[in-house]
Amino acid sequence: MDPRYIDGRSVSARILAETKAGFEALNGASGRLVSISIGDVEEIAVYIRNQARGAEKAGIPFDDQYWPAELTQDECKARIVEMNDDPSVIGIILQRPVPDHINVRSLQSAIHPLKDVEGMNPASIGNIVYNDLALTPCTAAASVELIKETGLELKGLEVVMIGHSEIVGKPAAFMLMAEGATVTVCHHMTRSVAAHSRRADAVLVAVGIPNFLKADMVKPGAAVIDIGINQITDESGETRIVGDVDTEAVVEVASWVTPVPGGVGPVTVSILMRNALTAQKRQIAAGWIAG
Amino acid sequence: MSAQVIDGKEVAAEVIETVKSATQKLIKDTSVTPGIAVVIVGEDPASQVYVRSKGKKATECGFHSVTHTLPEDTSEADLLAMVENLNNDAAIDGILVQLPLPDHIDEGKVIQTIAPEKDVDGFHFINVGKLGTGETETAFVPCTPAGSMVLLRKALGKSDLSGLNAVVVGRSNIVGKPMLNLLLAANATVTIAHSRTQDLPGLCRTADILVAAVGRPEMIKGDWVKPGAAVIDVGINRIPAPEKGEGKSRLVGDVSYEDAAEVSGAITPVPGGVGPMTIAMLMANTLTSACRRAGVEAPTY
Repeated sequence: MDPRYIDGRSVSARILAETKAGFEALNGASGRLVSISIGDVEEIAVYIRNQARGAEKAGIPFDDQYWPAELTQDECKARIVEMNDDPSVIGIILQRPVPDHINVRSLQSAIHPLKDVEGMNPASIGNIVYNDLALTPCTAAASVELIKETGLELKGLEVVMIGHSEIVGKPAAFMLMAEGATVTVCHHMTRSVAAHSRRADAVLVAVGIPNFLKADMVKPGAAVIDIGINQITDESGETRIVGDVDTEAVVEVASWVTPVPGGVGPVTVSILMRNALTAQKRQIAAGWIAG
Repeated sequence: MSAQVIDGKEVAAEVIETVKSATQKLIKDTSVTPGIAVVIVGEDPASQVYVRSKGKKATECGFHSVTHTLPEDTSEADLLAMVENLNNDAAIDGILVQLPLPDHIDEGKVIQTIAPEKDVDGFHFINVGKLGTGETETAFVPCTPAGSMVLLRKALGKSDLSGLNAVVVGRSNIVGKPMLNLLLAANATVTIAHSRTQDLPGLCRTADILVAAVGRPEMIKGDWVKPGAAVIDVGINRIPAPEKGEGKSRLVGDVSYEDAAEVSGAITPVPGGVGPMTIAMLMANTLTSACRRAGVEAPTY
């Protein structure tokens, strides 16, 4: 692979192997990782498949549950609360999207912080703000991991985060801040994104627009982390997955670029598994399960 | 001097007036009286002054106000038990434990024991997290950043900060980090800078909104300020003032006020800027909590 690309798959393989070793040191996973999909989730089947594969590599039993769309909010919540109390469940993943009648925030809050492997409970987010980086939102954590992979020193690094979503942009900003970076958060109401991104040693993009980040928006030598996943149909009528970065042009300016696919995506899955290991350790420390 | 001076005392007084009249209405309509409990451990003179002024302000607002003064050698377990009691006390909407606590007590543990729905300081990690995820309708925003945002809205005459660059200097849990969330929620583009930032003066000069919260007296110089910028100085530092006589001191902010006032469009003085807003927002948060208990809408500021 062109050394200017950061190979997410090899980073992911390393993290999964470390996670597997971590579980072995605890005499194996204490229980299973539950994935909850509510209603029709055809469009995210590939993500669930990737998570199942990651779990297998990390040595965690993966239980992918498909709940009927007719379940009410209260019924969903009751099932989650039951899993909170079930010692054979290490962690709970709530797949999105959910049907319209389900309040996803409220369900995420129902997942106990010790089982919140996706880092989506407000308590988990609050912990990140307080620099407790144990159960972090996976995509944000994967992005930080990939910047570290470049060897750049995060202390004092100028980082521009484009996109301020609650799932990626904001937690990534807090995590990078905790590592000592100077962080600027840009979004669709920013007057000139380029004026900010051109000054950055590292640029992270999560806007959901193909080819959003162009070569003239990047400082020579910077690291570019492409968090976008967009499906496009090219001239030949074929559909493929691209990120938010005009990768072929940007790679000529930047020192590092994460490819899509094969960049942030696989690392995200491996962080989910690492979070499951952390969750098990915390449950042991809290006396929920035997060590 | 060209800058508009943002008078925190005046804005704080307006907030208190709103709280007072909304409290009267709340009591009349629902017979719910906002209740605040302040807990202080030990006899630190500065803390006693703060606690007294909070109690006085609460009474002025028409709140039910109780102060618990515990001896310096109170055990952590006893303090936690008192917090639990207040969590269960239906007459109390806001619980405030005055910091710092004596060394033998774990501050974090005490704060995390306060019920999030009574944490009017906004320090519980559930409230911190909700601010991050934008669930502000059920959260409490920490008082100093909340007050800073009120001042900023007054100074700029608008609440939508789209297209504006904000630079926050300082990344503390109680000011810098909540400011990032609040400014983003107001659509500003936000940079959080700190002691490790490479070219801090240069970065500050890009700011349409400059928030200083580092705790270093007069660190931010006038030539760091972009002409016309709005400057919010959160710092309160005591420095020697030999010109006032031997052993005298005075309060200054993190911004070199005289020079910055020449350049900026609007600026908060120290004292009399952000300071008075903090206690006003504490009262506002307590009223909000009572309104949530009564099931009525709380005023905005």
